[in-house]
Parts: sequence; structure tokens; C-alpha cells
Amino acid sequence: MTEDLLVTRRTVLRTLGALAAASLVAGVPGTARAQALGQNESVQEAMKRLFGDKPIKDGAALIKLELPLIAENGAVVPVSVSVDSPMTPASHVKYIYIVADKNRIPVVTRVTLAPEAGRAFMGANIRLGESGDVRAIVEQSDGTLLQVKREVKVTVGGCGG
Amino acid sequence: MSDIGKVRLRVPTSIKPGDVVQVRSLVIHPMERIERDAQGKIIQKNYNYINKVIVTYLGKAVATFDTTQNVAENPFFSFTFRATDPGQLKVQFLDTTGGRYEGTVEITFS
Repeated sequence: MTEDLLVTRRTVLRTLGALAAASLVAGVPGTARAQALGQNESVQEAMKRLFGDKPIKDGAALIKLELPLIAENGAVVPVSVSVDSPMTPASHVKYIYIVADKNRIPVVTRVTLAPEAGRAFMGANIRLGESGDVRAIVEQSDGTLLQVKREVKVTVGGCGG
Repeated sequence: MSDIGKVRLRVPTSIKPGDVVQVRSLVIHPMERIERDAQGKIIQKNYNYINKVIVTYLGKAVATFDTTQNVAENPFFSFTFRATDPGQLKVQFLDTTGGRYEGTVEITFS
């Protein structure tokens, strides 16, 4: 009887272990793929991963980043970026990145634009965990990187985790 | 919850050929945040959030948003496109569970 019980328990445990391992194996690739852009990392790591060692110039003359000075609710923060660019096939804005320095996943979004967009513009509602800098980084078709950043004060954080 | 995937698109009422038009789009979606257990460790699971938004006009991609969980619930995006010919503007939202929600609007000139 005792032995029977033991065996059952062992079998159950083993099965459970196998199940857990299987779900881990199945779960990880999906998560990794989904998290390719946004990872739990510091903003320095994120910048390095996205742009390597390429120099990032100050883009204050060209980029207009619109954000509230104080975000009362970090769960919904409107942000918009417009870049002064001719948007021709030869010279256009290729990517606009939004990076929130203090978020646990710093990369918020990457917008890929085609010259047909007519104007380099994007707007979105984002989440901010706490007060900190929000950057807009623009990659032009010739590979130049431009950045502007602004500090936002957040009264109630909106990132949960 | 049954509203998940409802897409709303807003374009200006009067568009002239060659105009650069600003469009606002919204989708009803929970955009699940990262959850942590009591020890502060991230719970590994497939979070349901939108990770791609594709805007096409006349069948060509105009703008693509790759998004992470840092985008607010019921995400709102705006973008522009140059209206050259009458035709269809389509916005597709893809989430991490394979959901695909789309909204279309016919661009006509008045």
C-alpha cells in the first residue's frame, strides 16, 4: 500500500516535472519572439542593442516631440513626434523610435515610415512607469541618427510590472 | 470584453488630391502588462498585446508600428499619408495571440 502510494506520487511528480519542462520549452520561444523589440533591460542596453555604437546627434532643430510636462496618469500618455523632412525616396525618415528611460522595458515603439507617408509624423498613447526622460530617436534614410529628449513627470505610474 | 478588436478610423471629411492627410486610429484591446509574482519575478507567459500595426494605402505599406507593452490600453495611433488616388486605406493590428483586427476606409476626393 505504502509502496503503491510512493510510486504513484513519484510518477505524478515526474509527470508534473515533464509537463513543466515541456511548457517552458514551448513558452520560451514565443515570448522571446514577442519580446524581441521590447526587453527588460536598462536604457543603455536598449540603446546599444538598437543602435550599436553609431553616433547619435542632437536633433532639436528638426524633431518636434510633443508630450505633456506632467502626466497625471502614467497609463495613458499622449506622445507625438514630427520631423522636418522632405520625405522623398532619396531622403526620408525611415524609423522613429520612442524610448522611455525609466520604463522596465525601455523601447516603446518603432515606427517604420515609407516616403508615401508624406510627412514624418507619428502619434500614440504610451505608458510611463515613473517620471523620467522620454526620447524620440529618428533614423533617416542615409543612416543618420538624431535624438531629442524631454522629461515627463508622472503622478501615478502606469506600467504595473 | 466583446469589444476587443473593434477598430475606429478617423480621416478628415474633405480631402484634396495630393494632400498629406492625418489619420487617427484606435483599437479596443487590453494590452496586457507584465505581471510579477510575490518575489518580483516576471511571470513567463504569452502576454496578449498588440505588437504590430500595419498601415497600407492602395496596397502599399505607408507606416508600420512595432509596439511593445509600453503602449497604453486601447491603443491610439496617428499617422499621415499622401492622398494621391482614391482608394482604400487599411490599418491592421496584430497581437501576440495571433489576433488580427483591421479597419478600412475608402479615400475619396470631394
